[in-house]
Amino acid sequence: MVAAASTDTVLPSSGGTVLSVLKKPSVIPGFGLTLGFTLTYLGLIVLLPLAALTIKAGGLGWSGFWNAVLTPRVLSAFQVSFGLSLAAAAVNAVFGFIVAWVLVRYRFPGHRIVDALVDLPFALPTAVAGIALSALYAPNGWIGKLLMDWFGLKVAFTPIGIAIALTFIGLPFVVRTVQPILQDLPPEEEEAAASLGASRWQTFSRVVFPALLPALVTGFALAFARAVGEYGSVIFIAGNMPGISEIVPLLIVIKLEQYDYGGAAAVGTMMLVVSFFLLLILNLLQAWMRWRHAR
Amino acid sequence: MLAKARGHAPATGDSALVRALMIATALGFLLLFLVLPLASVFVEALRRGVGAYWAALVEPDALAAIQLTLTVAAIAVPMNLVFGIAASWCIAKFDFRGKDLLITLIDLPFSVSPVISGLIYVLLFGLHGLIGPFLKSQGIQIIFAVPGLVLATVFVTFPFVARELIPLMQEQGTEEEEAALVLGASGWQTFWRVTLPNIKWGLMYGVLLCNARAMGEFGAVSVVSGHIRGETNTMPLHVEILYNEYNFVAAFSVASVLALLALVTLVAKAVLEWRFGAELAATRH
Amino acid sequence: MAIQVSGITKRFGSYLALDSVDLEVRSGELLALLGPSGSGKTTLLRIMAGLEHADAGSLQLHGEEALGLKPRERQVGFVFQHYALFRHMTVFDNIAFGLKVRPRGQRFASAEIKRRVMELLELVQLAHFADRYPAQLSGGQRQRVALARALAIEPKVLLLDEPFGALDAKVRKELRRWLRKLHDDIHVTSVFVTHDQEEALELADRVVVMSQGRIEQVGSPAEVYDHPASAFVYEFLGQVNRFDCAVEDGVAKAANGALSIATDGAVQGPAIAYVRPHDLGLSPTVGGPGRVSSIQVVGPDARIEVDLAGLVLEAEMDRERLGVLGLSPGDRCAVHIDRARVFARR
Repeated sequence: MVAAASTDTVLPSSGGTVLSVLKKPSVIPGFGLTLGFTLTYLGLIVLLPLAALTIKAGGLGWSGFWNAVLTPRVLSAFQVSFGLSLAAAAVNAVFGFIVAWVLVRYRFPGHRIVDALVDLPFALPTAVAGIALSALYAPNGWIGKLLMDWFGLKVAFTPIGIAIALTFIGLPFVVRTVQPILQDLPPEEEEAAASLGASRWQTFSRVVFPALLPALVTGFALAFARAVGEYGSVIFIAGNMPGISEIVPLLIVIKLEQYDYGGAAAVGTMMLVVSFFLLLILNLLQAWMRWRHAR
Repeated sequence: MLAKARGHAPATGDSALVRALMIATALGFLLLFLVLPLASVFVEALRRGVGAYWAALVEPDALAAIQLTLTVAAIAVPMNLVFGIAASWCIAKFDFRGKDLLITLIDLPFSVSPVISGLIYVLLFGLHGLIGPFLKSQGIQIIFAVPGLVLATVFVTFPFVARELIPLMQEQGTEEEEAALVLGASGWQTFWRVTLPNIKWGLMYGVLLCNARAMGEFGAVSVVSGHIRGETNTMPLHVEILYNEYNFVAAFSVASVLALLALVTLVAKAVLEWRFGAELAATRH
Repeated sequence: MAIQVSGITKRFGSYLALDSVDLEVRSGELLALLGPSGSGKTTLLRIMAGLEHADAGSLQLHGEEALGLKPRERQVGFVFQHYALFRHMTVFDNIAFGLKVRPRGQRFASAEIKRRVMELLELVQLAHFADRYPAQLSGGQRQRVALARALAIEPKVLLLDEPFGALDAKVRKELRRWLRKLHDDIHVTSVFVTHDQEEALELADRVVVMSQGRIEQVGSPAEVYDHPASAFVYEFLGQVNRFDCAVEDGVAKAANGALSIATDGAVQGPAIAYVRPHDLGLSPTVGGPGRVSSIQVVGPDARIEVDLAGLVLEAEMDRERLGVLGLSPGDRCAVHIDRARVFARR
């Protein structure tokens, strides 16, 4: 009886298009328009050009690709880029954690200014950062001269200079991922630990730090990913010696300037693949940690 | 308020010595890596006095670079603004298959090196690129011209507005829009009168960051620019040329304008966070 | 008939939220949709408003098929559970919204809009709050703004989703009485959703009890409370003693024969009996089958727990009556049941 009644009733129109198969019905309008625009724009601006990269690299053929990538110069550029990015991300993990701790837990004069300043590397154009850092760390610069006089250490135009630039541009990531988690950490857990007889250090290392570790790893991964691709702030301070202080992005630019489009595409593809692979590992690590600490 | 009090609670506070050491370490690190580089820009720019500083800024190539930077940002930012609104509308207000993939793809440009962001357009539109020869036969030039600069800038600033708005709109839900529709508003009326006022500060926040990056981008535009003085040189590229010509004062003078822009951005960002922190909370992950 | 629901079915994925629901809402009445969470009551309300699509069935608003209509075309007022007030608009602008978004030809002049909004503000007793923002109001005030906003478009039907759900107990009671009075004054056909039985019984002209996407019973508050149509309604409305029994020739026996209840004779064999605590009578009897195990006094009432050969029952009476009976824990007593309902065990 019910079935008979429902056959001659008016059913709601849920768009009546292919879209309704993909999407739960909703009364809010504009889905087709906005999704259509989003996909078109995404396709034209991002996906199509990225496809051009793989097409160009694929055009070299399997052996041609490896011939372009497995040269000593390219390999050492990869070593320089990834190695120094890891080092810079590690430095940022340590000091970024301390900065986040200080900003969340302590109040001191100028607190708010310091907090705002942490984002400077996001806002300052990389070329400006690059020339400022190289002026600062050059043998006649403010810091470079001190390091030279005291330790005989040359920073600018060496791999150390690259690490400094990469530390600069990755600085906000760790601070900004750890900060909100630390802010939201319930004080009860620390109070419970203290009331159970834990020392301050035990409370930190066994209660607080494990809770912050996933965020710290995220921040590390973001700083690392940013550093691997960085170009502007590095080239001024690097010295750009092939095999010693030449980074992968610079090598791509050099290949382009020599009209070696295929080589540039191959190195670029390789770089994307390696960074995605490393980020995948870091994401899995992070997912595993979250799962272990799931509340 | 709780967070403030927490630092002083006996059970969870750190000793005065630890506190002093931590603050000193943090401030020392930030001084070395942030304050000194920033200060050096202005010191180097004014090394030869205000006259030389001013001359470097009003020189025709510098003015052309400033104008080009403003032009590129004026095209790229609105494009990504419209995109950000459309993307966050369909992602935040609807449930559909493949949404997570879409969000990942929108974030993709952030994980691509700026140099590669430029490279892909050269490979597509360049003289030896996939459709470059065809475009040339039609008399259209994209690479080593303004369209290329705009495209590369759009690519690197692609996710900024969308990723601010998506969490904000997700948090605000759909109830107010539903209320408006029941009260008789049309789709556009609902958007203009209900949704837009609710997201305006988040929108401004995204535009601010998008604009800062658009005006300051170096790697991507460097690859597609061709470095033609007075024509395809944006401010950051002009800084590079001057620096490579050992014209340090001029380089730092132009750089100081960009540094000022960064400072203004930071202040505006801090003001937005301070004034509308609660409304923006969702966007700060 | 203000609203005619027939055969409305709604699925969320594999979950059946509404299973071919039929319902009539009479003109001018205040109807409660009562049920636990997941019973489908809010879904039904949202389908009436056009905020949710039905998979099958028909919905008529004042005789006109409405399922194909958009929410804006239905002329229903909807009060959201969390009010959904426009946070960036003042109270005045919130209420005026529905009038201001009308197509140009049908829109009132701004003086007329102002007059109507002020009239509504008077009605909900918020005339002094016109320039405030929602964030500056208390929960009860926001609720009244939401109501005024829904009434502004002169809806044919007013739909309210858990209208008092987000309020604290005292405000909830006050607002309940006020809403009842308001409804008596303006008589707009109203349907509200609630999971609070007291709210439904006190406020509504008729109550619709829902469970698992189906309507269990429709009736006046007294009907559904006194004559529950199903075991579910019995358990959901008010306190009840529930115990296994066996029915033979119209007599239900429980607790190893210590308890016999006369039934209407429709059920035979293993069954479940339902007895309200205030339908359970006790009388002190030396060597009686029951033993008072505890007495709890709550305000003017007393709750007495009786152990009847291992079956624990709760009786309720006023304290005065308890004083007359003179029962205290440990005493023996006889148990008699004034009214019970027996349902066959499934």
